[in-house]
Amino acid sequence: MTASILDGIVLGLQFGVLAAGLTLVYGLGGVLNLAYGQIAVVSGLVTLLTMEAGVPAVPAALIGLVAGGALGLIFDLTILQPVYRRHGEARVLLSLLLTLGAAFVIDGYLNWRYPLRGLNLRITGDPLVVFGVRMRMGSVVASGITIVVIGVLYWLFRYTRLGRAIRSVIQDEEGSRLVGIDPQLMMRLILVLSGVLAAIVAITRSMVAPVNVRAGFSLTVLGLIVTVVGGLGSIPGAFLAGLVLGIINSVASSYIGTFLSLIILLVAAAITIVIRPTGLLGVRE
Amino acid sequence: MSGRAVAAGTSLVAGAETRVSRSLPRLFGSIAAVGAVLAAVPLWVGDSRVRMGVAILGLAFACYAIGFNLIFGSTGQLFLCVGALAGVGGYGTALLADRVGVPVVAALVLAALGAALVGGLLSWVAVRRSLGVIFAGIITLIFALSFENLVLGASTITGGDSGIQVSAGSGTFLRERTTAYYVMLGLVLLCLVVHGLLRRSRVGWAFRALRDDEVAAELAGVDVARYRVYAALVGSAMLGLAGGTYALIAGRVSPTTYGFAQVDVVVIVMLAFGGIGTLVGPVLGATVFTILDELLIELGQLRLLAYGVLIIVLFLWIRRGLIPTLAELVRRKPGSPPGTAPDGEPG
Repeated sequence: MTASILDGIVLGLQFGVLAAGLTLVYGLGGVLNLAYGQIAVVSGLVTLLTMEAGVPAVPAALIGLVAGGALGLIFDLTILQPVYRRHGEARVLLSLLLTLGAAFVIDGYLNWRYPLRGLNLRITGDPLVVFGVRMRMGSVVASGITIVVIGVLYWLFRYTRLGRAIRSVIQDEEGSRLVGIDPQLMMRLILVLSGVLAAIVAITRSMVAPVNVRAGFSLTVLGLIVTVVGGLGSIPGAFLAGLVLGIINSVASSYIGTFLSLIILLVAAAITIVIRPTGLLGVRE
Repeated sequence: MSGRAVAAGTSLVAGAETRVSRSLPRLFGSIAAVGAVLAAVPLWVGDSRVRMGVAILGLAFACYAIGFNLIFGSTGQLFLCVGALAGVGGYGTALLADRVGVPVVAALVLAALGAALVGGLLSWVAVRRSLGVIFAGIITLIFALSFENLVLGASTITGGDSGIQVSAGSGTFLRERTTAYYVMLGLVLLCLVVHGLLRRSRVGWAFRALRDDEVAAELAGVDVARYRVYAALVGSAMLGLAGGTYALIAGRVSPTTYGFAQVDVVVIVMLAFGGIGTLVGPVLGATVFTILDELLIELGQLRLLAYGVLIIVLFLWIRRGLIPTLAELVRRKPGSPPGTAPDGEPG
C-alpha cells in the first residue's frame, strides 16, 4: 500500500506540473492550449537530438527547456494573436480549435520525420529506500526536480513583483491595466513559462518511462482532465488534483489492474466535475 | 454562468445565423439533390472493392457528421464522444446479434437506442449541472476515453485490440458492396430528413433561439434544458444507428473503427469544410474530406499536417465553413454589393 501511494505521489507530482502549465494559460488569458502535449513532446525530442549530437544530458535537457519556452512564445506571437481579439467563451472555443490544428501540424510532422522516436533518460543508481519502500532512482530524481519546480512556482507567485502582477491580471484584467500592468506582456511570459513546464514534464517523465513522439495528445488530455478536476485557473488546485488522481491511479492499478484503473481515474474525474463544476479549488465566477 | 457563454461560443462556429427555408419542397429538393449526386458514385467508382469500401466509410462519416452537427451546431453542446457513441451502436449490434442471438434488425435498433440513452444521459447531466461548453466537452471526452479503454481492456468480450468479427449480416445484401453503399446512403438521407424536419418544426425554432441567445430564449419560455436533451437523444441515435449499420457492413469492429482520433477529429475537420449548423454541409464536408483523403494518401503522415493547416486557416478566415463560403462566392452576381446573403439554405 505504501509503495503504491508513493508511486502515486511520483505520478501525481508530474500530473500537477502538467496541469499547472495549462491552467496558468487558461486562468490568465482564457485560452485552452490543445497543443500543450505536443510542446512537451517537441522539447523531449530536442533533448534527445541534442544528446545524440554529443551534448551531455544536463545541458541537453536545458536546451529542451529553452525549446519548450520558445515554442510557447511562437504560439503567442502567431496563432494566439487572433484569439486574444475575442472575449469570453468565444475566445476559449477559437483557441481550442486553432491549437488543435497546431497539434495536428506538429504531430503530422513528427510522425513523418521522426517516427517511433522517444526520449528515455535512464538514471542509474541504486534504489533509494523511502518509508521502507525501495524507490527507483529515476522516480526519486524526477520527483525531486518536480518538487523544486513547485517551490519555484510558489515563490514566483507569492513573493515576486512579477508573480503579483500575473495574479492581478488573473483576478481582474481591466483593473491590472489601470495600475500599469501590461496583460499582453504577462500572457506572453506565461506562455513561455507554460512551454517550459511542458518541457519539464517531458524530461522528468522520461526518467520513469519513455516519452515517445506519439504521446502528445494523451499528455494534453491527461493535463486537461487534471486541470478541470483541480479547477480551471487554480495552480494549487492543479497540484492537489494531480496528487489525488495520481494516487487513485496507482492504488487502483496495483489492486485492480491497469485497464480498469484508468477507467476509475476517468470516472473519479467525471464525478468531481459533475459534483463541483468549478473543480476542487476553483472559484465560481 | 454558462448561459450567455454557450450562446457566444456557438455563434462563433455557426458564423452568421443560418437562414432556414420554410418551404417543404425546397427542403426535400436539396436533400434529393444530395441523394442523386451520391447515388451516382458507384457508377464511376466502378467495381473496385477498396474504393467502394472508402465510399461506404465516407457515408458512415456523413451520418456521424450530421449527428454531431445536430448536437453541437444546433444546440451548442460540444460532444467529443461521436466515435464512442457510434461504437456503442457498433459493438452493441455485433454483441447482441452474435453473442445474445437477437435478430439483426432488433439488435441494431436496441444498440441505437442504447447510444441515444447514453448521449441523452450525458446531455442531461451537463444541462442539470449547467456545465459550460468546455466542461461538457471534458465530460464527453472522458466518456469517450473510458469507452475506448473498456473496449481494449474487456478483451474476452470485445476482442481487445484486434476487435471482433461480426457474423451477423454475412451472406446478405449488406456484404455486397454496391447494395451496402445504397443502404448507407439511405441512412444518410434518413438522417438529413430527420434533421431537416426538426429544423423547420417548433423544435427547430427553439434550437435556433437558444443558439442565438440562450438567456433570451429561456426568458421567452423555451425550455432550454429539454431541447438540449432532445437534440442529444436524436443525434446520438443517429450516431448509434450509423455505427451499428457500418459494423454489419464491414463485418468487423475494432477500437480504431470508433476511436477518438479516428472519428471525432475527422468529424470536426469535415464540419470545418462543410460549415457547422447548416443542413447538408456535413454531407458535403464528408464527401470533400473522403475524396481529399484518398488523393493525399501518398503523403502518409503528412496528411495530418495538411489537415492541421486547413483547420487553422478555415477557423481563422472562413468561419462559416469552406463550402458555404465558396458557394456564396459563386452565387454572388458580379456587381452585387458584397455581403449579400444567398437565398435560402447555405450549402
